[in-house]
Amino acid sequence: MMDRYTKLQTAGIYAAIAVFLIFILLPFFEMFMASLRPLEHLFRSPYQFWSDDFSFQAYSDMWVTVPLLGRYILNSVYIASMVTLLTMIFVVPAAYAYARLDFPFKNATLGIFLGVNMFTGAVLLIPLYRVLRTMGLLNTYWAMIVPGVAFLIPTGIWLLRSYLEKIPRELEEAAYVDGASRMYTLRRVVLPLATPGLIVVGVAVFIGAYAQQFLFAITFNQKRELQPLPAGLFEFIGYQDVTWNQMMAAALTGILPVMLIFLFLQKYLVAGLTAGAVKE
Amino acid sequence: MATLDLTSISKSFGSAKVLHDISLAIEDKEFVVFVGPSGCGKSTLLRIIAGLEEATSGQIFIGGDDVSDAHPVDRGISMVFQSYALYPHLSVYENIAFPLRVQKMDKPEMDARIKRAADILQLTDKLDLKPGQLSGGQRQRVAIGRSIVRNPRVFLFDEPLSNLDAALRGDMRVELSQLHRSLDATMVYVTHDQVEAMTMADRIVVLNGGRVEQFGTPMELYHHPKTKFVASFIGQPNMNLIPATVLGTDATGLSVEMEGGHRLVLPVEATSVATGDRVEVGIRPEHVTPGDGGFEIEVNVLERLGGVSITYGKLRDGTRFCASLPGDARVTEGAPLSLAVAPEDCHVFDASGDVLRRKAAPALVA
Repeated sequence: MMDRYTKLQTAGIYAAIAVFLIFILLPFFEMFMASLRPLEHLFRSPYQFWSDDFSFQAYSDMWVTVPLLGRYILNSVYIASMVTLLTMIFVVPAAYAYARLDFPFKNATLGIFLGVNMFTGAVLLIPLYRVLRTMGLLNTYWAMIVPGVAFLIPTGIWLLRSYLEKIPRELEEAAYVDGASRMYTLRRVVLPLATPGLIVVGVAVFIGAYAQQFLFAITFNQKRELQPLPAGLFEFIGYQDVTWNQMMAAALTGILPVMLIFLFLQKYLVAGLTAGAVKE
Repeated sequence: MATLDLTSISKSFGSAKVLHDISLAIEDKEFVVFVGPSGCGKSTLLRIIAGLEEATSGQIFIGGDDVSDAHPVDRGISMVFQSYALYPHLSVYENIAFPLRVQKMDKPEMDARIKRAADILQLTDKLDLKPGQLSGGQRQRVAIGRSIVRNPRVFLFDEPLSNLDAALRGDMRVELSQLHRSLDATMVYVTHDQVEAMTMADRIVVLNGGRVEQFGTPMELYHHPKTKFVASFIGQPNMNLIPATVLGTDATGLSVEMEGGHRLVLPVEATSVATGDRVEVGIRPEHVTPGDGGFEIEVNVLERLGGVSITYGKLRDGTRFCASLPGDARVTEGAPLSLAVAPEDCHVFDASGDVLRRKAAPALVA
């Protein structure tokens, strides 16, 4: 591509990017800084951005303050993984059907799926609570997994469908002419070719599942040992004081797995999210 | 191997009718090419034979069995697609093995078949590569390999050479003809390229607007085109068509006066036209020779190809005229040029585009 911008425009663009990046990243940075300070420094006045007594003390203290912290982190990962797994099991055949088959109400149902996405879980908490209570799922992992799956299936279908539509139809026709059934074609031809797309959708669902846990956890679960990290962080709020530095440390440690996944898979994510956007 | 018979195949997409009542009888071991301009329905017809599309009406028989509602595999067909449709994540071996794996064939039998196909197609040392590592011609061969391992009764090709460059296309044409001979198979081949049709086909089906214009051997189509469409589609460069008026008919043929005043007596069966009718005289560029035969053109463009010189010009009345002359013919751009044509080489088409049968022509076929 040619240089389409003057130096001044380029500088402006970078300045804008910097503003937005700072806006988004500053909280994380501040979290990190807070986690390094001794608790009393957090309340120092005037506020000092830089102190000379930074330490990683909070990162070891937090396991003592909240003994179940490790369990919470594992719960988070477990719940998010289960949500991802179950969602993918439902999404793959559904997205394939939407991409390739013709059936009544195809576009209408797709629209409904998009509509469902516009509700946040919060609006539906009370009905969901009643459903889960009737099914006897309250205070189990399922209480946090089932609603998670339900809310993520529409997103998954929309993302994966556009990816599957990009796979040339002739490949499937060739398989059909050679006698392969739909399922065989899906397994041997379509899914291997859709691997990047599956990764994108898997990652998007996992992150979605990680983010939505909090709401479901505090409403549908009261068993301490089943709580995921976002709910578990509440335990840093004590009767006397709030150990902010440890809470920040725990939060950062907790999002570490997600961040690592992001770092490894980001090139797929970008490629996948823009799939079908341009003619190739 | 088997015969392939189509009876009254029609196909509509919604209200658009793309195939009109097509009936064809293709013989065992025959290489038949469907040719026509884009949108003429040739690919749709092939896809109906393959079982990828359903005909709106009509029946398909392969080897005498009615396969109109059968699955492609049960029809005993295999198909090579325009884009090759190779599976990019599988090796060449696995690509060729795909139809056999679907059948759950035994490993030794499968190995043997793949080895035989690879031998025929010179792919033996490429079996471990992925399609992405192959050249266009090699990919084409893999696609053909995948279609021959199943020993189908009829091979279908959907414009298989159109993605290749010109030189490779020439090579692959020869290879495909050889393959047809060595497999002794019934093949149906779709193309928009009349050169492919002429060079490879035993018989050609010329399709236009969803109808069969003519079904015959290449030379039959060349010498005895049934319609103006076939005449101008077959042959390179295209046939010249000059408007003319019928002056009279007699036992020797038809006398016409062409636009521009030149008169000719043409040996054709002139029963369907009367004096004063408008007709068109078709003259193939290669049947024109330099010399004082009454045609005078102003040469606009001269293409010297070495062996031949193709001149494009206009007759006096403005009709475009192309002549294919010997390579060293003395022609200069911008200068007038006198040309002659033998009356027995001329074709005549009536106002509806149907031919008046030529009396004296080579390769007369009933």
